[in-house]
Amino acid sequence: MRSCSIPCRSREQIASVSETSRTSNLVSLRRTNLAFGMDPSAIDAKGGFSFDLCRRNAMLMEKGVQPPSFRKTGTTIVGLIFKDGVILGADTRATEGPIVCDKNCEKIHYMAPNIYCCGAGTAADTEAVTEMVSSQLQLHRYATGRESLVVTALTMLKSHLFSYQGHVSAALVLGGVDVTGPHLHTIYPHGSTDTLPFATMGSGSLAAMAVFEAKYREGLTREEGINLVTEAVCSGIFNDLGSGSNVDVCVITKGHKEYLRNHRMPNPRTYVSSKGFSFAKGQTEILSSKVTLLKERVVAIEGDEMEE
Amino acid sequence: MGDSQYSFSLTTFSPSGKLVQIEHALMAVGSGQTSLGIKAANGVVIATEKKLPSVLVDETSVKKIQCLTENIGVVYSGMGPDSRVLVRKSRKQASKYHWLYKESIPVTQLVRETAAVMQEFTQSGGVRPFGVSLLVAGYDDNGPQLYQVDPSGSYFSWKASAMGKNVSNAKTFLEKRYTDDMELDDAVHTAILTLKEGFEGQISGKNIEIGIIDANRKFRVLTPTEIDDYLAEVE
Amino acid sequence: MSIFEYNGSAVVAMVGKNCFALASDRRLGVQLQTLATDFQKIYKIHDKLYVGLSGLATDAQTLYQRLVFRHKLYQLREERGIKPETFASLVSALLYEKRFGPYFCQPVIAGLGEDDKPFICTMDSIGAKELAKDFVVAGTASESLYGACESMYKPDMEPEELFETVSQALLASVDRDCLSGWGGHVFIVTPSQVIERTLKARMD
Repeated sequence: MRSCSIPCRSREQIASVSETSRTSNLVSLRRTNLAFGMDPSAIDAKGGFSFDLCRRNAMLMEKGVQPPSFRKTGTTIVGLIFKDGVILGADTRATEGPIVCDKNCEKIHYMAPNIYCCGAGTAADTEAVTEMVSSQLQLHRYATGRESLVVTALTMLKSHLFSYQGHVSAALVLGGVDVTGPHLHTIYPHGSTDTLPFATMGSGSLAAMAVFEAKYREGLTREEGINLVTEAVCSGIFNDLGSGSNVDVCVITKGHKEYLRNHRMPNPRTYVSSKGFSFAKGQTEILSSKVTLLKERVVAIEGDEMEE
Repeated sequence: MGDSQYSFSLTTFSPSGKLVQIEHALMAVGSGQTSLGIKAANGVVIATEKKLPSVLVDETSVKKIQCLTENIGVVYSGMGPDSRVLVRKSRKQASKYHWLYKESIPVTQLVRETAAVMQEFTQSGGVRPFGVSLLVAGYDDNGPQLYQVDPSGSYFSWKASAMGKNVSNAKTFLEKRYTDDMELDDAVHTAILTLKEGFEGQISGKNIEIGIIDANRKFRVLTPTEIDDYLAEVE
Repeated sequence: MSIFEYNGSAVVAMVGKNCFALASDRRLGVQLQTLATDFQKIYKIHDKLYVGLSGLATDAQTLYQRLVFRHKLYQLREERGIKPETFASLVSALLYEKRFGPYFCQPVIAGLGEDDKPFICTMDSIGAKELAKDFVVAGTASESLYGACESMYKPDMEPEELFETVSQALLASVDRDCLSGWGGHVFIVTPSQVIERTLKARMD
């Protein structure tokens, strides 16, 4: 199985940057823990991946069973730089193979107050990698006392992705405004990056890029920018099967951001009747039934009522 | 070598049942600059002296009160460098908690984790206890909270507490002044008055630090100008 | 064969008015051979929080044991019950830890949160959360469950109506799936009571 060829790193190695300088004293502390009969790894979830099931899973694959498909975001994600900052856009469809499993998911992730990131690829990976880097950025901000830079986020993301050689499959559009101005980057699952004035990613990237190539120009106003982003995402929604539902937009300007969740909803639900199905009580045949009463929350009664 | 045959290893009890290294650490705290905290009805305030070794030091570069999370702040008495280690570890612990539960860490949990680190350093080989006591101020679903954590790793929840050089005077002062229904603004005034009690020289926005958290659950260190405004109010 | 088809399963959760339903089939099989028709796939975490585990039965049971362990630890440490949202994040973190060697298990989490607000959620085998306001499905019958729920669900159902709806959706769906069915198991959780019912279903 492919995943077995990944270099197995120890918990300590994967743990984030600030702990790499852990002294030998602390290693001995861990042993102290073990001496008390408590395996810290049983509780410590953070600190890297666990590979214990790899061998078994590889054996199953060898015997011919298929590994499960993961939830993907087929996705159209886009971003552009406008006059005062950056605008990011995304569709809201999540798929598992050909099935739509979430009609209104969120693909624009928070990284820092001034930085957001759109994610395409395996949903769990985009979610995890952005969450991880955003907490590293938070710690970095505490340590430096300054606003995060977009390049800092970029470097953290790409070095994580590169170290997993593309197995963490996240394709990202990173945008933000910092002291050095507005920035927009794309990051590929293998860790390579681009710096662009306008960018698209995901299965709908071609459809969206066609719109950008035709209509993007420098110095767009906020209004024009939002409209162009919406149009590009809509192009993905309607022309790419992996993308669909609504348009999310995030506008980041100096010292300010605006997250427009479901900015446009071009695909409302129209097919279901308002009455729906109704089933008579007792229609379903029951074999057994058990009712457990839950304890009511105790509510303190005020003095007046007690006196009665 | 230390002053007794039981100070060579901090993991060895003296016959009287004491770990002398921990007592020494408490001495280090006791000779540190005064810090105090007050839990008000609608928030918490922590404050500390910021005496610098020389007027040539740029006082804006010294930050004794720090954020652990958005809704938890901390101040120390004792050795500054030691406190930074604890602050770093606590922040890391808070972010781990957030990674796991996607929820900000409750004050009690973070205090316990921090205290656990301090305890480990009283029982492990090759290390010494931390020469600091911490006052942790936070506001979560359980309301405003104030904790003190000592080098031994013991911790208590306080309505108001003080530590450092003038601890006994400050505590007596707080005991006299403290009321349960105190508002945050009153608590800040009381904090300033308490610091003023044992303060050598003229108190100003530049030589004390104050951190507050109220019901909006955002911990904030006051700027020197804000402190000066409060100082004007108490005079 | 996909690994999810080894044992077969169907799990669905639906939200009603201040209540939720969590239902599963009861079959345990090894591919096309049925081993048991009283297999438990829905587990209680606490009074108002349940988890349904679809997928490879061995992994589901192992995962359940780890979840119980983590929940007990949480209760001891924090001296409070876990919120459904928090629990979902915990499950997600446990699954993502095994990103490159996953549990072949797709959980469905349903609970009543603060102020008895219903919460439902499902995730894939590596912990990508999907939060929904209406219904979530998992297992080999998930495709037909999507269809059934999509047409049968309506908002703000009372507990009894919710029971009928979720049961009919489940029974209709497993009829079109060889690998699940053979009975149904439904939990209806309201702020004051939990109704647990087993359904009569086709046994073929």
